[in-house]
Amino acid sequence: MTLRTALAGVVSAIGLGAPALAQDVAVITPYLAQPGTQFYVDGFTARAEELGWDVNVIDTAGDVAAVISRIEDVVTQGVDAIVINVDPAQVGAGLQTAADAGIPVVGMDAGSDPLVAANVTSNGYAMAAETAVYVANRIDGEGGVVMFTFDPFPPVQVRGVIADAVFANFPDIEVIDRITPDVSDGGIADSRAQMEAILSANPEPGSIAAVWAAWDQPALGALQAIEAAGRDGEGIVITGIDANPEARAAIASGGNFEASIAQDFDGIGRTAADTVARLLGGEELVQRVIYVPTELVTSANAE
Amino acid sequence: MIWLIRRFGGLVGMVAVVAFFAINLPQTFLTLQNWLNISQQVSMLAVVAATMTVVMVMGDFDLSVGSMASLSGVVVATLFLQGWPIPAAVAAALAVGLIGGLFNGIVVSIVGILPFVATLATLTIFSGLAFLISDGRTIFGRDIPAAFGDFARGGPPIGAVEDRIIVLPNLVIVAAVVVLLIWVVLEQTSYGRRLYAIGGNSEAARLAGVAVRPLRLTAFAFTGVGSALAGLMYASRVASANPTQGDGLMLTAIAAVFLGMTLTRDGQPRVLATLAGVLVLGVLDNGLTQMRVDSYVREVLVGSIILAAVGLSALGRRGIAWR
Repeated sequence: MTLRTALAGVVSAIGLGAPALAQDVAVITPYLAQPGTQFYVDGFTARAEELGWDVNVIDTAGDVAAVISRIEDVVTQGVDAIVINVDPAQVGAGLQTAADAGIPVVGMDAGSDPLVAANVTSNGYAMAAETAVYVANRIDGEGGVVMFTFDPFPPVQVRGVIADAVFANFPDIEVIDRITPDVSDGGIADSRAQMEAILSANPEPGSIAAVWAAWDQPALGALQAIEAAGRDGEGIVITGIDANPEARAAIASGGNFEASIAQDFDGIGRTAADTVARLLGGEELVQRVIYVPTELVTSANAE
Repeated sequence: MIWLIRRFGGLVGMVAVVAFFAINLPQTFLTLQNWLNISQQVSMLAVVAATMTVVMVMGDFDLSVGSMASLSGVVVATLFLQGWPIPAAVAAALAVGLIGGLFNGIVVSIVGILPFVATLATLTIFSGLAFLISDGRTIFGRDIPAAFGDFARGGPPIGAVEDRIIVLPNLVIVAAVVVLLIWVVLEQTSYGRRLYAIGGNSEAARLAGVAVRPLRLTAFAFTGVGSALAGLMYASRVASANPTQGDGLMLTAIAAVFLGMTLTRDGQPRVLATLAGVLVLGVLDNGLTQMRVDSYVREVLVGSIILAAVGLSALGRRGIAWR
């Protein structure tokens, strides 16, 4: 959404735009106002510019039905490819229209669907494995671990499954509790309350060796509970996933919150552009889910 | 000359918009498939705007239509979660719309709160209920019966182009039925004529024996049921429901009615004129997207066009009022 594309829009709106010869790609999302999505789109447009494409970024401001409408419109317009950042299950009608017209659709952290040629995202299994193994190694494979998971949301559920497997593989690690926090208020407050209860139930110093959280908010809640209970000197290791700014600050301060995982949003955008390029080159993609590597964030690189 | 501009200026403007896109998008804009796309894209807005016309005829507003659309989508999806069959869940969601609409009618006509304030309050109530029922979550995937999502994708076939069957979308048929129904109610029944009488002069209508309170009360039932129906159409189109998805319909529906009012001889809301307003808004979104106009620039343009249309129409009626 640069000034340049805005001006190009105005120019073409008043009928002065020259017909495009380069590849025409539409990026359609209802979520452009969200920070993560902006990074995806910036990465995508940067790579597309290198490839010399004409990119039209369309934001429907939260309106998912309008995503279907805009997919129909760009299909009518005859774009070469479409990139979406929305659950494909919600825009199936639009995907069908694109499929009927033979226009490939690539997902940018969108979810898998038979009508999406490929979805570019981060590997939730790998992220969970990395933080679970970090926890296991830090506590020398021994002690009580509290898990915060959220099985109703599939992308987070897979993280929990992997952490279960890692901890089960260490005979001396005991999972004290596997908590599903109430996330209606963001997840921090309820996680803190649940952690306070666990701390009361396990008053012995050292009885809790670590807290593994499937995303950052419960990790932050647990951190608050541990500090409020005055037990931050026990060496309880906390890990999260996503490395949001609040988590990064906590990790950088060198307290109990030791590690999280950062997704490479820019890389997802760039890889999505490369994936579009492969499709436009006529390649048949065998791998329908394409993972972009993530990065472990510790106090060494949190700033 | 002035009379001509006054009477047909709006219409000329609308034709100019269509002509502009036809010239700039010669390959794609005036195709049957594109117009079926547009008609399907505006179908939900058409239903809300048509029923909004009913209350705007009386000079009232209903600001709660968007959140009622969200609420009805969430209600139907939640009932699906609990194993209700599609017809029962749809009927229940429409009943919620009827109750909500009548409630709006009661607070406006019996209690006597200004519609702007009353429906602003119910907007908040309906929105809160939608969040409460859904727990703030989006309900989608296997929880929504396939047949419910398929409804918005299907329709009776009306022809074929290059081996591809072209269907008249079900959503378009629903919207057409609603618009026709509202046209009959407003233009062909004494009920509708009385609503216009209230809009002309409520006190005079009352003195002439029009039962103003019951009429105002029941008129809000149309917007309630209409917005609930639009919410169901939306939920079917996206095969999912979340507590905010219909919210955008309210302002656009009111804008469509105002755009339509620029077409009518006396500047009154008429449902067919509203439909024209809805189509213009849909055409602008469709055409500007195809011309690759930036989505934020598109919003600025659409807003400016509404302002220009309504402004020119007002100037045509009164002349410029300096004092």
